[in-house]
Amino acid sequence: MTKPILKCVFLLAAMVLPAYAAEPAWGLPELMIDLGRVKQAKGTFVEKKYLKLLNAPLESSGQLIYTAPYRLEKLTLSPKPESMVVDQDTLTVELRGRKRSLQIQDYPVLWAFVESIRGTLKGDLSALQQFYKVILEGTRLTWQLQLQPTEKKMSALIQVIVIRGSKDRIATIEITESDGDRSVMTVTDDVTTSAAQPDMSIAKSRVDTPS
Amino acid sequence: MKSHALRAAAIWLLAVLASVWVIRNTTITSDITAFLPSKPTEAQQILVDQLQDGVVSRILLLAIEGGNEAQRVAGSKALLDQLVAMPSLAYVHNGDETRMGPERDFLLKNRYLLSDAVTPQHFSQAGLRASLENNLDLLGSPLGMLVKRILPEDPSGEFIHLIEQFEGESRPPQRDGVWFSRDGKRALLVAQTKAPGFDLDAQEAIQHDIRQRFAKVAGGKELKLLAIGPGIFAINTREAIRSDATKNSTVATLLVAMLILWFYRSPRVLVLGLLPVGTGVLVGISAVSVMYGSVHGITLGFGVTLIGEAVDYALYLFTQQTKERPAQESLARIWPTLRLGVLTSTAGFSAMFFSGFPGLGQLGLFSIAGIVTALSVTRWLLPHFMPAGFSAPIGSRLQRGLICAAQFAPKLKPLVWALAAIGVGIVFAHRNNLWNDDLGSLSPMPIADKKLDEALRGDIGAPEVGVLLAVKGADEESALQRSEKLSATLRPLIEQGVITGFDAPSLYLPSKASQEARRASLPKASVLRANLDAALRGMPFQNGLFQPFLNDIAKSKSAPLLTREGLAGTAFQLKVDGLLVTKRGSTVALLPLRGLKDEAGLRQSIASLQDGNVSLINLKSESDQLFGRYRHQAMINALLGSLAITLLLLVSLRSLGRTYRVLAPLAAAVIVTTALTLISGHALSIFHLVGLLLVIGVGSNYSLFFDNENFARAAPERTLASLVLCNISTIIGFGLLGLCQTPVLAAIGSTVACGAVLSLIFAAVLTPDRSVATPTAAP
Repeated sequence: MTKPILKCVFLLAAMVLPAYAAEPAWGLPELMIDLGRVKQAKGTFVEKKYLKLLNAPLESSGQLIYTAPYRLEKLTLSPKPESMVVDQDTLTVELRGRKRSLQIQDYPVLWAFVESIRGTLKGDLSALQQFYKVILEGTRLTWQLQLQPTEKKMSALIQVIVIRGSKDRIATIEITESDGDRSVMTVTDDVTTSAAQPDMSIAKSRVDTPS
Repeated sequence: MKSHALRAAAIWLLAVLASVWVIRNTTITSDITAFLPSKPTEAQQILVDQLQDGVVSRILLLAIEGGNEAQRVAGSKALLDQLVAMPSLAYVHNGDETRMGPERDFLLKNRYLLSDAVTPQHFSQAGLRASLENNLDLLGSPLGMLVKRILPEDPSGEFIHLIEQFEGESRPPQRDGVWFSRDGKRALLVAQTKAPGFDLDAQEAIQHDIRQRFAKVAGGKELKLLAIGPGIFAINTREAIRSDATKNSTVATLLVAMLILWFYRSPRVLVLGLLPVGTGVLVGISAVSVMYGSVHGITLGFGVTLIGEAVDYALYLFTQQTKERPAQESLARIWPTLRLGVLTSTAGFSAMFFSGFPGLGQLGLFSIAGIVTALSVTRWLLPHFMPAGFSAPIGSRLQRGLICAAQFAPKLKPLVWALAAIGVGIVFAHRNNLWNDDLGSLSPMPIADKKLDEALRGDIGAPEVGVLLAVKGADEESALQRSEKLSATLRPLIEQGVITGFDAPSLYLPSKASQEARRASLPKASVLRANLDAALRGMPFQNGLFQPFLNDIAKSKSAPLLTREGLAGTAFQLKVDGLLVTKRGSTVALLPLRGLKDEAGLRQSIASLQDGNVSLINLKSESDQLFGRYRHQAMINALLGSLAITLLLLVSLRSLGRTYRVLAPLAAAVIVTTALTLISGHALSIFHLVGLLLVIGVGSNYSLFFDNENFARAAPERTLASLVLCNISTIIGFGLLGLCQTPVLAAIGSTVACGAVLSLIFAAVLTPDRSVATPTAAP
């Protein structure tokens, strides 16, 4: 008679203990929730492009501004001013003094590219998974998201996009193109406005969610 | 008597045989341009040409519906494979960029001939340095990914320069690489036929071929193909008119035949009654065919209406005949009235015949030839063959009823005048939206086609008729040179925001002069290498990166110039075919403008060119103007026709009072019919105007009979009976026409049917002169 009871106790212990013993489990959904809380983020970026055509990397820098949930601005200041703004479905590029706007849905490759960054900032996993296979590594403090294009046209251009960060902040975006060219964007000096601090009870109730 | 009969019969037979022979060799057309003026302004001519056989007329829009998205995508790709193999199509595309190979290759291969940036300075050390710095900027930008692939071949940036010129073109959204409607429900394809849109037999064969190939592709899946385009409109319109004409003329003939048989109770009279109509239709069509070289479908459909009018003459004849009064004698009694009636109608239709619009002219000629023939047959052939001692059996109850009605009618005068006054009021109230000002209302195409066309055009983002510049040259080369000069004027306007872009034939096929100049500006290999090496100093490009560039320039320096034939197999061929049109001994280059924001600014820049060969054409306002002019012309012709009718009556009746009494009911009927059309929610089109002319033609017979002095004195009941009978047959003919699916025919039909009833009633009310006599029943 005691055996089944013991079994039950062990089972219960086995289920409950890890939650207390280790750090709370952390995975994609949790990361997405963290990221999704950010209402506005402003950062300075430095981008280095390593191209096979060139014998030295190309460097540019400027500001990156994200306003939840749909607006993303990349304002390059050096070496030449240019800007790229996505708002909802419209992408406006200003290059060499010429401004053009387009609907991102009409350009699938561009759309995928935009969503890799905006989807991450927004914490929108389904937007990411629409275009990429998403792999998460690391911990809440130092995480790394790997985005591998699933669509043929996109994968012909881009091999993988790796986004690294900590908690709800993005630190670097590394894009590896299919021909081996690479660009690394480092974002620093964040001014981040978030929603209310995470509610622990919610965090706890999320513990058992499979990741 | 006998020889007269034989001679008449022989002439009739000859006329019929000749007409049948002509008709057998007649082609039938159905394009809208028949209803456009034959002497347009130059700008209108361009519009008309484009509609008639320009690229516009050869476009087919195809859409695949049904199934799921993956099936539609697969269907689009498979259908493209099928259509590319069709020799009757000049071009077909579904947006698949992997299929853009020919265009890309063409631009890349001919970039040094095509690019207007190619000058000697462009390949100097400074020029190359500027290009390289620019490229470095681009590599750092989001465009870098696309630029770097082509950089080793094209550091001077010709390819990108060429691509940038096409910017601002609207393009449909894509799903999985192929064009789709924005809602994702339809996969879209565009094709261009080699045959012009008006070549109906070729268009029909092409459509059939496409559908068959689609059936292979769809293979049991729930996919449906929609196809629309001017060629298909033309086919469908021809079909619609054909079925309208056949169905309506059959039904109308049957009904009128039943009416004649029921009324006269003689099969022989029935045959004789249909003879004038039949002959009239045959002669009418063949007259049009001889005069215009072809017959428009609308004219054929119109043939039905002749049944309504031309059968009248025989009916008047039959009804007047009694045992005591043989055919010849009764004919003599009504002949002056019939003759005047036909002259009146002819005067009305002459106005259309001389209108300068081939379509209206056809209707006019057809009607004139038809009714004159019908009257002649009635006058010279029928009397010989009437059964001896024939008397139209008119029951005494019917007689009494008719007489009663006729006696009562004049008492309604105030009512008719009140109705006419209300009619005038209604027309006045609608004075600002009296006319349907859409050029499309002239189009004989069925409404369902029009809707589908609008939907698919919206989907594909086909440019709405917009603003374009036309520049004329003596030949292709001079037109292209002027197109280049104009392009140079337009380019700064893009920067200034006056326009967002433009298209020009010289973008795809530069003039020989420019091509030669560009080829000559390419430096020799040794010079180029030295310039490039100097320009590259201190830049981060890898060593030897630009070898492909050096090779390409060397190749291009000895390459032949680009010709029109060299565009074959690319989408640019289609463009140049549409934008460079040689007609009547001169060539016109068309430069469609995109996103015009400042027409005044544009006009100013064009004026500064001081080139009389350049004209600015706003297709929308041009077609509005065309329509306005058309309507104006038709209106004037109708008024002239009315004037001619009035003069004719004045001269024949030699009395102001009688002329007034004949015309008053017609005027009242026309006004009330117009008012009824307007309050039923239809704006007037030119075809309503034609219908009103017909009302005057038909109605004048009625009032002339009421005016006839004999009317009161002898056998008024017979005249009344024949009028009622004629009226019913007219209503049958035109009423059926009013039910047609072809808007043009429906407009004419309903107008005339309504107007005919009104003119009979109004004639009974207004025409009889009370001071002369009141009809009384014959003993």
